[in-house]
Amino acid sequence: MPTRQLFDQALDDLNEKIFRLGDMARSQVKDAMTSLDKQDLELANQVITGDLQVNELQAEIEEQCMLLIATQQPFAKDLRKIVGNFKISINLERIGDLAVDLAKLSLRIGNEKLIKPLIDLPRMVELVREMITQGLMAGKNENTEEALAMAAKDDIVDHLYNQIFSELLILMIEDPKKIHQSTYLLFAARALERAGDYCTNISEEVLYIVAGKREDLN
Amino acid sequence: MNPKKMDKLATGVLWIAALMIIGLLVWFLVYILGRGLPYLNLQFLTGPDGVGAQLFNSFYILFLSLLFSLPIGIGAGIYLAEYAPQNKLTDLIRLSVECLASVPSIVFGLFGMIIFVNLLGLGYSILGGAATLALLNLPILVRVTEDSLRSVPSSYREASLALGATMWQTIRKVVLPTALPGIITGITLVAGRALGETAILIFTAGMNVSRYLFDTNPMAAGETLAVHLYAVKANPLPGTNADAIADGTAALLIIMVLVFNLLLALPSRWMQRRLGKDE
Amino acid sequence: MRDKIVVENLDLFYGDNQALKNISLKMPERSVTALIGPSGCGKSTFIRSLNRMHDLLPNVKILGKIRIDDQDIYNDATDISLLRKRVGMVFQSPNPFPKSIYENVAYGPRIHGETSKAHLDEIVEVSLKGSVLWNEVKDRLHKSAMGLSGGQQQRLCIARLLAVEPEVLLMDEPTSALDPISTMKIEELIGQLKLKYTIVIVTHNMHQASRISDQTAFFLSGELVETDETGVLFTRPADQRTEDYISGRFG
Repeated sequence: MPTRQLFDQALDDLNEKIFRLGDMARSQVKDAMTSLDKQDLELANQVITGDLQVNELQAEIEEQCMLLIATQQPFAKDLRKIVGNFKISINLERIGDLAVDLAKLSLRIGNEKLIKPLIDLPRMVELVREMITQGLMAGKNENTEEALAMAAKDDIVDHLYNQIFSELLILMIEDPKKIHQSTYLLFAARALERAGDYCTNISEEVLYIVAGKREDLN
Repeated sequence: MNPKKMDKLATGVLWIAALMIIGLLVWFLVYILGRGLPYLNLQFLTGPDGVGAQLFNSFYILFLSLLFSLPIGIGAGIYLAEYAPQNKLTDLIRLSVECLASVPSIVFGLFGMIIFVNLLGLGYSILGGAATLALLNLPILVRVTEDSLRSVPSSYREASLALGATMWQTIRKVVLPTALPGIITGITLVAGRALGETAILIFTAGMNVSRYLFDTNPMAAGETLAVHLYAVKANPLPGTNADAIADGTAALLIIMVLVFNLLLALPSRWMQRRLGKDE
Repeated sequence: MRDKIVVENLDLFYGDNQALKNISLKMPERSVTALIGPSGCGKSTFIRSLNRMHDLLPNVKILGKIRIDDQDIYNDATDISLLRKRVGMVFQSPNPFPKSIYENVAYGPRIHGETSKAHLDEIVEVSLKGSVLWNEVKDRLHKSAMGLSGGQQQRLCIARLLAVEPEVLLMDEPTSALDPISTMKIEELIGQLKLKYTIVIVTHNMHQASRISDQTAFFLSGELVETDETGVLFTRPADQRTEDYISGRFG
């Protein structure tokens, strides 16, 4: 007879919530980017208010993790799953905060004409979105290779950030009038670079859940 | 009938059964004491037809028989309970003990007569009677001792041994004290039987008494109270009030058994309380 | 830390039935080693082999070595009485003798030859303080131990052990018959006792093992599956069978 079915169900339920939180974070960064790219201020405001839901879901996950620890008193992988997923939820919530940062930058820039077409920033966003999905799937399937592959993508994110940084630097040197907007765009790139780091944190948690080992992938 | 009614009925029936036992006992005591007590006085013991010597003999034989049977019976009981391995031999010993316990006392009596009275040449004597009584009581003592020791939780033994005590230290300081109330109950049982025994003693201790009181010579013939009761009723001596003597003797015997039981049971009860919970 | 008890390749047979299979385990001094595993896995059999309690049973055969302080305890020259004095045992259900509290504690020293009343008084007090029972019983030392609560009885049993000045305390599911508060008191006590004694405890309660032990050994079907630092074994066990057992997905 399989034992602890209820507990297993609760863990599945927790995982399902993590996926929901992941989806929310993904669409928040995507919407934030769109608002920046298309200068859609209303969408930017939606992202800012939408963060409340992200925070709520994260709080719910946190509550559930505490409850599971208190009531099920888990050991070994069960314990690692709960602690690991709890930390994943924190990282996702922070990615959500970064989406808010992007949206706020988009409000700052407002309707001022963009100094350059946005190419690398959307690429960073896509990478971050991919990494979130890949990380969560790796967690669900307990696939360490997938988690490592996901973490490797952070190098591309970092590379894009460096590229944007030097590009904007050149623009600022050429035309001091562009410094104002360039700084905002630099902040945006910086935020996405951070989001990439949070994604690698997620793969670290996956490795911890699966193998019980702590590794620094940043 | 529904279970609730059945339950009430069963409770009622069991109550009645218990009451009947008490009722019987009370009736028995009232009848015997009622008939015998009026005759009991000092004269009854020390007078010409007095039973003082018989009373003394009863206890003297009891004392001697316990002297013989207690060490052997308790010793064998300890061996069977604590040391004996589980095998065919010890099973055989147990079976023999059971068989001995169910032998009718008259058989023991005849056996005692052949062995002690005739073969060993003790004649009708207190010693012969006591030795034969000891044989009768031995199996019960073995059984009671073994059962009492076995009812001591093995966790006590484990605790003692785990503290580094030897087997004998454990038995002497933990197991025996704990089993003592049970063993004392067994001794009471045996003593009661001994006090009331007739068949054996008629053939071994005889039906005569010494002419003077407190004759401690074990080679003398020694009629006991119970035997006296039998003798008086079976062959009333002409010129004596046989019925009166019998009634008095019966009452005396009952009182003696009761007193003896209380003497042993009270300390045992007290000890049990000491061992058990305080309040 | 020095290893107080070293077990090497221990096999134990009840008749033809092998109850322990090639067990090797080291138990460090002044630390708590917990033995966990399902019923019948051999953990109780193992702990009982450490003070030769199996000697009481016929048909038990033991192979391999058990050394305590480098002395082979199954050597013919071993004085069992002395061994059990050094290696004391607390049992599953509290088993004080049906004697007074004082007599219970004084029992061990008495059988080992202590007769001085003053000395016994001192031993009783020190031992009862050692098991954190003194304050609860100091006014009723000469009353029956059977009047104590289950938890107090178990602490009395521990005091009874301490009175013979052991070096190793073996505890065979010492709290399985106790309520949660009494259990916690015993666990606290174990935390204090390990400063002085080497403790080996069998427990069915894995959370208890995780709370009180420094090292945990997992037994299954007579085999020692895994031994590790308690923190490691309960968060990331190496063997899947350990994982299944401690996360309750066993059988």
